[in-house]
Amino acid sequence: MMSLAQQGFTLAWRSLVPLRNSPGQLTGYLLQPVVMVVVFVYLFGGASAGGDRHSAVLYALPGVLAQSALMATIATGVNLNTDLHNGVFDRFRSLPIARAAPLLGRVLADLCLLCLSVCMALLVGFVVGFRIGTGPVQVVAAVALILAIAVALSWGSALLGLVSRTPASVQVTATAVIMPLSLGSTAFIPLREMPGWLQFWMRVNPASHLADAVRGLLVGRPYDARLGTDIVVTLGWVAAMLAVFVPLAVRAYRRRI
Amino acid sequence: MRYAIEAEGLVKRFDSTVALAGVDLAADTGTVLAVLGRNGAGKTTAVRILATLAHPDGGSARVGGHDVVRSPDRVRRLIGLTGQYASVDENLTGTQNLFMIGRLLGMSRPDAHDRATALLARFELAAAADRGVKGYSGGMRRRLDLAASLVGDPRIIYLDEPTTGLDPHARVELWAAVRALAADGVTVLLTTQYMDEADQLADAIVVLDRGAVVASGTPDGLKAEVGGQRLEVRPERPEHRDAVAGILAALAGQKPEWRRNLLRVSVRDLSLPAEVLRRLDGAGIPVAELSVRRPSLDEVFLTLTGEPRPAPEPAVRTDGTAPAEATAPREKTVPMGATASIEESAA
Repeated sequence: MMSLAQQGFTLAWRSLVPLRNSPGQLTGYLLQPVVMVVVFVYLFGGASAGGDRHSAVLYALPGVLAQSALMATIATGVNLNTDLHNGVFDRFRSLPIARAAPLLGRVLADLCLLCLSVCMALLVGFVVGFRIGTGPVQVVAAVALILAIAVALSWGSALLGLVSRTPASVQVTATAVIMPLSLGSTAFIPLREMPGWLQFWMRVNPASHLADAVRGLLVGRPYDARLGTDIVVTLGWVAAMLAVFVPLAVRAYRRRI
Repeated sequence: MRYAIEAEGLVKRFDSTVALAGVDLAADTGTVLAVLGRNGAGKTTAVRILATLAHPDGGSARVGGHDVVRSPDRVRRLIGLTGQYASVDENLTGTQNLFMIGRLLGMSRPDAHDRATALLARFELAAAADRGVKGYSGGMRRRLDLAASLVGDPRIIYLDEPTTGLDPHARVELWAAVRALAADGVTVLLTTQYMDEADQLADAIVVLDRGAVVASGTPDGLKAEVGGQRLEVRPERPEHRDAVAGILAALAGQKPEWRRNLLRVSVRDLSLPAEVLRRLDGAGIPVAELSVRRPSLDEVFLTLTGEPRPAPEPAVRTDGTAPAEATAPREKTVPMGATASIEESAA
């Protein structure tokens, strides 16, 4: 188990070092949350919150955080598929290391990048007036929840990356899954403003529970009414996705040789 | 254990393409085995099976006494692999590449760093240690790749076409590295399509053609197997060609081959060249060149695998990627006759 951890961290390091060698590639990770905050607070937020910019910020920023988690997972599959065409993966497969190590390394690396995005989003949120209405424990819990769902989805993305032929096809498929999850949720728009059929989807959508949980944890009232349920449902999804995606991804990786 | 690498009846199919049709090979511990064959002969497929990167559809293979299918992890602990395409990470520096492998093999940070530094120095990459591999030349990449496969100090090394695409200087450097490994007692399995490479490095050679072993033995044994010596005569005047051919045919009992102004027959009886010379003299035919030499490995190879033909179309794997071997650069055709050496001269 120790060796799997060392292997996973080493391979995560391998994925992150090129970013240190050429920091320009980080721009995207830093810019995305800025764009999201601007779009959902200023472009759409004003409308959904009846012109009240401050409550728009309070409502939308936790949504931006949740959405960052979902969007970040697309990269896992794309990067993994790109790696598969890289000769260095042949070497990994010929080394006496855990079969899951290269996948774990990829997931960990993307998790680090997501942390960066989350910090950036919080920073931008702070600039535009977002204030945390709860305590440090809740903030840590919110970030942990975001990372947990990101890890679970990353394994699904990894699976997709392993069974797809090209990085581009991973991108298209993953986006097609993530878009309705993230936009068709309560991340940015409250449930009551939607037509009935969409309300049904938004209610079952795990991204809604994640966004609501993060909102409740960061803002507190009036968004924490169903906080317990939202956290439990989100963690349930995390457990279910891990239970399904991890074995399938490892199996797909073995078969890919 | 006598054989470090041992394979029997290896079969591998990709869709309708048969990459390996029952291949046997064995490498004595501490020797260099060359697997010789042209593009698409099945060399890379064989190496991938022996390196646990692919499962055979039939047959079995043991590396260091461990079955490649049943105990792949034990095999992986013994081997180092240098792929046809440098399997190093070009987004990292030379040091970072080797450090990463060391860490993956469970070394501590300082140990992994020391090992990286030592290997970079050994392969004359110290000056480029902290530069991105993207900027390395082809020869530097291959050397780094070889260094990467040596991080764990494996006793069995696979080199899949290590010099393909390298310039002659880089090739000679890589050969020296392989010789040093062999001198260390490491078992080396080398695939190549260059006869002179096999001749230079190998203790034993397996010739693969279209997925099957067409010959195996020592370089000298293979040369002998293909038949005696080559007698070559170049008449000084082209109009004498038919007369010379007649004399050769009468004495050697076979129709000589005409290529590049040379008439060539195989001879087993070494008194024959002298007789040919006497008869030519008697007939008053001036000769520009007359030589007897052993066949080159090129000739052996061509004899065993038939005349040169264009490489077959790349087979397509089920997962849609072409086998690495089939997508190899096209410029590397068999260097026919280019390395033919005149070892003996009866003229």
